[in-house]
Amino acid sequence: MNLLDIRNLSIELKTTDGNIRAVDRVSLTMKEGEVRGLVGESGSGKSLLAQAIIGVLDERWIVHADRFHWRNQDLMLLTPEQRKNIITKDVAMIFQEPSSCLDPIKTVGKQLEEAVADQQLSGFFWQRKQQRKTEVVQLLHKVGIKNHEQCYHSYPYQLTEAFCQRVMIAIALAKKPILLIADEPTAAMESKNQGQIFRLLASLNQLKHMSILLISHDLENVTHWTQTITVMYSGQFVEAGTTEQIFAHPFHPYTQALLDSSPNANILISAKAKLTALSGSIPLLKHLPIGCRLGPRCPRAQKECVIAPKTQNFHGHQVNCHYSLKDEH
Amino acid sequence: MASLLQVENISKTYTDKNYWFNHRSKTVLQPLTFELNAYQTLAIVGEIGSGKSTLAKLLVGAESPSTGCIKLNGQTLDNGNFKQRCQHIRMIFQDSGTTLNPNLTIQQLLTEPLELNTQLTVDQQTVLIQHTLQQVGLLAEHMNFYPHMFSGGQKQRISLARAIILQPQVIILDEALASLDPSLRAQMINLLLDLQQQMGLAYVLISHNLGIVRHLSDDMLVLENGRVVEYGKTSQILTKPTHYYTQKLIINQHLQLFKK
Amino acid sequence: MQEESVLARDKIYTEEQFPSPLMQLWWHFRHTNVAMIGFWCYLFLLSLAILAPLLTEIGQNSSNLDVLLLPPAWDSAGDVSYLLGTDDLGRSMLSRLINGTSLTFGLSIIVVIISMAIGVMIGSLSALTKGIKSSILNHFLDVILSIPSLLLAIIIVAVLGPNLKNTLWAIVIVLIPQFIRVTRNAIKEEFRKDYVLASRLDGASPLRILRYSVFPNIFERIINQATLAQSAAILDIAALGFLGLGAQFPLPEWGTMLSNGVDLFYIAPWTVYLPGLAIFFAVISTNLVGEGLRHALKQRKES
Repeated sequence: MNLLDIRNLSIELKTTDGNIRAVDRVSLTMKEGEVRGLVGESGSGKSLLAQAIIGVLDERWIVHADRFHWRNQDLMLLTPEQRKNIITKDVAMIFQEPSSCLDPIKTVGKQLEEAVADQQLSGFFWQRKQQRKTEVVQLLHKVGIKNHEQCYHSYPYQLTEAFCQRVMIAIALAKKPILLIADEPTAAMESKNQGQIFRLLASLNQLKHMSILLISHDLENVTHWTQTITVMYSGQFVEAGTTEQIFAHPFHPYTQALLDSSPNANILISAKAKLTALSGSIPLLKHLPIGCRLGPRCPRAQKECVIAPKTQNFHGHQVNCHYSLKDEH
Repeated sequence: MASLLQVENISKTYTDKNYWFNHRSKTVLQPLTFELNAYQTLAIVGEIGSGKSTLAKLLVGAESPSTGCIKLNGQTLDNGNFKQRCQHIRMIFQDSGTTLNPNLTIQQLLTEPLELNTQLTVDQQTVLIQHTLQQVGLLAEHMNFYPHMFSGGQKQRISLARAIILQPQVIILDEALASLDPSLRAQMINLLLDLQQQMGLAYVLISHNLGIVRHLSDDMLVLENGRVVEYGKTSQILTKPTHYYTQKLIINQHLQLFKK
Repeated sequence: MQEESVLARDKIYTEEQFPSPLMQLWWHFRHTNVAMIGFWCYLFLLSLAILAPLLTEIGQNSSNLDVLLLPPAWDSAGDVSYLLGTDDLGRSMLSRLINGTSLTFGLSIIVVIISMAIGVMIGSLSALTKGIKSSILNHFLDVILSIPSLLLAIIIVAVLGPNLKNTLWAIVIVLIPQFIRVTRNAIKEEFRKDYVLASRLDGASPLRILRYSVFPNIFERIINQATLAQSAAILDIAALGFLGLGAQFPLPEWGTMLSNGVDLFYIAPWTVYLPGLAIFFAVISTNLVGEGLRHALKQRKES
């Protein structure tokens, strides 16, 4: 069963010069127990998409979609508040720079206690305090923090980034979510700690059958941990498929360029040789190209690219391009 | 052939001045020695706290070493004498947001090192600035823009222009590529390789991304807690690491890309 | 051909202005209506303060004993030639208020400028030093900042003697520590930025770094503190005048006028509420300008 089924979601920003389409008709599906990577550079709208799913965008943004189903329940028919109520029960999110996401004046233990909802505790009200503390200790053990006493009484500034991210994951797990959205969780960390956090997420996925949407701007560190990948560029959907399909046979020129630009992916390239890179830079929100937004930079762009391409599906490998690289594979 | 840059027994120890009677000293960098030639890149790899940023500051002159000396072309560099050093060794920083003064135009920004270190007239300075901007891939008209009008990748190019405008011989890249998006990073890598061939530069690349290190550098130095753990040719170290720390780093970064 | 190519190029480059951060700030300020209202009121008061001697032909001290305590013109017993009425010595309230602008409002600006100059200088010097000297200065400043400004001004004036010149010096001394604190913190924060390090590595002297790299960036914070200091200065000058420690009789300072009118409140209330409204108007316009500046700074950061 599809957990999350989004078709043609668009997010527009209200400005004095009219509405700017920050995210343009993106589709995303997630199954149970799946780890999906959402890859895009800065300006691709991936964080906006995650925030739209959770429902935390303010009135400046207008969200509309052809289909937005959560566990086969149509959310577009509901008001934003009802939508938020349903989604926040089962979906949790963790962010980058976790030490700035925690309240600096409260101990970590107090913040975890706040996250534990009242409904999960059984028992009379004088037993609640002790039960809450037990629940918090269990959460800390689940994310791999063994000396819970010291962690319980520390403040966020006393902990390292990796520790804070584990605490954030523990707060997210307090509601026993079915889907965890991780918005660049390891952006500010060293490689050793990145590996730890990814391993923790992978173990949560296997043991608890929790789906994870892993958002990142780097294709290389996502390919190791995910089963499927969706690629976005400048607010548009570019390509989606299993990790093997995307890595071995990328169909879209942009995905090909992302793979070319990372020296890790091109093991055969000789040292100090020039990498094939796309010319130009990412368009600003004020100057978005019409049609396919990769047009000005794409080496295969032709006259037809001023019209936005339709999605084509080849055995589960979807791509949004008029001149995809499918024929070359 | 004498090497361009010779670093001999450099170390750095900080003493805590707040304690009058009980001097607490912390050795951030143990004595280390290395050499660098033109057209070559040395990568310095290590985690946070390994001392790599201290080493960068020692090389560029922001701090003076507790022991040892740095020789450029056989001539020892004095500590604290910035004018002697800044024409030959320049640095590019990591965070492009705070690396450019938001109240100065690009022209004013690039004129400052010229005014302090050369005797060019205003016209000659303008011509040199335009030429340098074109070398890094920007337009000459960008001279009159303010930093907030540029994107992150362009700001790093302006930092690079500020570094090469004095025709240096060594450029230190302090995690300069870490905050860039992958496609911009590829453009920047190509630009750096071009400039190295054109101007005969030597790079000191400080990074924790082993993929870039493997691609860009000839020699590699691995630091752990201030100590040199390995030093040698990059290709050799990455294929046959001898120390367990290097092995751990390689495994953590999955140099073979994904599980087949 | 040359003309055509020049015209064509003008059409391609739409980016003709290169707004510096200061111009951006001014643009945001101009588009906040409330701030612009405050700004025009501030300019109005400033021009009154400068042009006061020219505007009032009737000398401020000339009293016309025939028209003691005349109510303002909108009252039935009032007279249009004395638009805001007269006080107990027959002097026109309108001309006294206009002259009072140059005393209360004008002096407050001078006070702020002097204390800003001294405070910024001391603050920059203290930001450049490290170690014991700087921590002594820091603790000393903390002690001074903990005393309320009005109390400190009263003490200083009581020591030096009550007249307007001593009030000026007292309030200057009281406002200096705030400027030192703001400058010192701002400069210390700027020194942590990479472009200051880059300048230092290029061989710039500390003075050059301060002038080109640091000051343009902390300028806005200092001006913000100056608007806050000015509203405090207006109130302090008026308060000292009210207490009889500031401008002495017969100077038309607003606080002194207020204290003269308190005895006559039941028979001639306009001698009390008119100076009070003037003080209120001056403080509100200063605060609106300051608030508009802070709002524009926030909007510029967000855009």
